[in-house]
Amino acid sequence: MKALFLGNVAVDTYEGVKGELPPALDCIILNDPIDRARLPAAAADASILVSNRWLPDFPPAPRLRLVQSVATGVELFDLASLPKGCAICNAFGHETAIAEYIVMTWLALNHRLPEISGEFRTRGSWRTSWVQSGAPHGEVRGTTLGIVGYGRVGREVARRAAPFGCRILAANRSPRDAEPGVERVYPLADLDAMLPECDTIALCTALGPETTGLIDARRLSLMKPTAFLINIARGQVIDEEPLFAALRDGTIGGAALDVWWQYPTPADPERRGSRHPFHELPNVIVTPHNSGWTGGMIRRRWDEIVDNLGRFVRGDRLINLVTTV
Amino acid sequence: MKVSFVGNFGARPEVAKAIIEKVTETIEPTILFDIGDGQRLIPALADAEIVVSHIWKADFPPAPRLKFLQSPAAGLDLIDLPSLPRGVTVCNVDGHEQAIAEYVLMTMLAMSHKLVDIATAFRDRGSWTGGGAGGGPLHGEILGKTVGIVGYGKIGREVATRAAAFGCPVIAANRSPVADKGAASEIYPLGELDRMLPRCDFVVIAAGLGPETRNLIDGRRLALMKPTALLINIGRAPIVDEEALYAALRDNRIGGAAIDVWWRYPTPAEPNARPANLAFHELPNVLMTPHCSSATDGARARRLGGIAVNIDRFVRGEALRNAVLTT
Repeated sequence: MKALFLGNVAVDTYEGVKGELPPALDCIILNDPIDRARLPAAAADASILVSNRWLPDFPPAPRLRLVQSVATGVELFDLASLPKGCAICNAFGHETAIAEYIVMTWLALNHRLPEISGEFRTRGSWRTSWVQSGAPHGEVRGTTLGIVGYGRVGREVARRAAPFGCRILAANRSPRDAEPGVERVYPLADLDAMLPECDTIALCTALGPETTGLIDARRLSLMKPTAFLINIARGQVIDEEPLFAALRDGTIGGAALDVWWQYPTPADPERRGSRHPFHELPNVIVTPHNSGWTGGMIRRRWDEIVDNLGRFVRGDRLINLVTTV
Repeated sequence: MKVSFVGNFGARPEVAKAIIEKVTETIEPTILFDIGDGQRLIPALADAEIVVSHIWKADFPPAPRLKFLQSPAAGLDLIDLPSLPRGVTVCNVDGHEQAIAEYVLMTMLAMSHKLVDIATAFRDRGSWTGGGAGGGPLHGEILGKTVGIVGYGKIGREVATRAAAFGCPVIAANRSPVADKGAASEIYPLGELDRMLPRCDFVVIAAGLGPETRNLIDGRRLALMKPTALLINIGRAPIVDEEALYAALRDNRIGGAAIDVWWRYPTPAEPNARPANLAFHELPNVLMTPHCSSATDGARARRLGGIAVNIDRFVRGEALRNAVLTT
C-alpha cells in the first residue's frame, strides 16, 4: 500500500515518525509539491496522501482513499479533484499549547509583565514595586473570563483557568454543556449579553461565515473600558480598524494578538501583520502566530497521524474524520 | 486602644490610612514613617498596645505596653525577635499567596513559551521566526513538566493547585512535616532536597528566609538541577547563592530563571539601583521583576482588610489570625 508524503511539513512528519509507521506502507517522499517530474507517477499509485494541500492542477490520483492533513485546517485541499469516497482527516494536538498561551497572556496582561520586566531590565526601574510604593497591577482572581468558541481549545482554557478563582463564561455556535467551573455557555447569537460581563475575552473560534467580523466596532464598544482581548483564532474574526482605534484610544484595556490580517511573503518575510501599527501600542502583546508552535504540539500531531495510518491499514475506524468526498 | 503604624511600609499612607478606614473598633492611631526619627519613635512605642510594622530593630526604644505586633508583610526576617518585650504575639499577613501563585504560573509559561523573546523580536523587527508562518524553532510548553516547590506553605499550595490543572506533576519540600499534601503528590523533608532537585523541570522557591534556608540553593544544589530546569524565586534572594546562580545561568548549566526578589534594593540615593551585584540584567535567560509579584490590587485589599480585622479582633479580645509566634 503506497503512501505519498507531499510537501515540507509532511516530509518533516515522515522523518519524525518513520520508525513508527505500519511496515505494510510503501512510502513515497516528495518535498516539492510542484515536482512535475515525479508527482504524476506518485499520485497515480498512492492510496494515502499525507500533506497540507492538494491543488486543482495536481495530476490525477484515482486510488486515493485517505487524505491525512498534517494540520487542523483543510482549506488547501481541493475536494473536487480528489476521488469520490476518499476520507479527509485532520490533526490536532495544538489545543494544549494554545490554552497555555491564552492563560499566559491573560496573566501577563493583568500583571503587566512585559512593561514591568522590560523597564526593570533596561533601566533598573523599581517604579512598579512595593518598595517604591508603586501602583498595584492587576490579578486574574475574581475577574470574569469570557471564552468565545467553546470547542477543544476553549475547554482546555477553562480547565486551566478555573483554579485561579475567576468566573468563566463561554459562547458557542452550537449548544454545549458547561463543564464544572464554567458558569454558563451562551449561544453565539447572545454574545452581546456576555461581552459587557467580561474582564477578558479570549477568541477561540474557527473562521467561518458566523465568525468573520464577529468582533466589530459595535461589539468592541460593548466591552468594559478595562477589558483585555486575546485572539488566537484568526485575524478576520476581528475588524482590524476598530480594534486598532479601541486600543490606541484606550476604549478597551489591551490585547494579546497571535493571529493577523496579513502574513509574510517570500518577497516580504518581515511583513507586518496589519495595515495598522499594532506593534507600536504599549498595551498590546504581539506574537507571530506561534501560540501552538511547540514541540509538544508536533509530537501529539505526529502521534495522531501514526495512529490514523495504522487504523487505515488495519481497516479500523478513522479518527479526526472531517469529511468524505 | 493605641495603635502605632511604624516604618516605611506600615506607615505608608496607602497602607496605614486604608487600614484605619477599615477598622470598626475605636483606636487612637499614631503614624511614623521614619524609624530614624528617635524623638518621635520613643512616644510612638512607649504607649502602643498594637504596632503595625514590618521591621523591629534591636535598638528600638522600649515598648512596655506592646501586646500585638502586626507585620504588613509575610516575611518576618526584618523583625529582631529577641528585642521584643515578652508576651507579644507577632502576626504576619496573607492574601498575597494567590497573586504570587499567578506570577509563578505566568513566569513558568512565559519562559517555556519564550514569550518575551518572541514578542520582542516580532514587535521590534517584524520577525516571524518562532511562528508557524516563519518556520523556525519550536518553543516549549508546561504540560507534563514536573514542578518542585521549595517551601510548601500558603504560596506553595496555591501554586500546586494551579499547576496541577496544567497537567504538571507537583512535588514539594518542606521544613516541617505536611499533613495535607494538597495538589502535590509527594513531600520531601527539606533535608532531602537533594533527592528532589534532579526530578524538577521547575524549581519554585517559596520558602521564608531563615537559618535553614539561607544559601539553601548553592552551587552544589544548582548542579543537581537538570540543565534545562527553570528556577523561579519569589521567596527571598539570600536563599540562593548569587554568584553560583549567575555562573549557572551565564554558562547555561540551568535553563533560566525568573527572579522577583533581590540581593540589592534601591535607596533614596540610588532609586534605580541594580538589583544584584552581578549583571543579571544582561543575561538573556533571566526574566526579572522588581519585587512586585504580590503587588496586585487584590492582594493589597486582602492584606489590608486582614490587618484591620486583626486589630478589631485584638480590641475585642478575640483570637488573632496569622499568629506566627508569641515572645
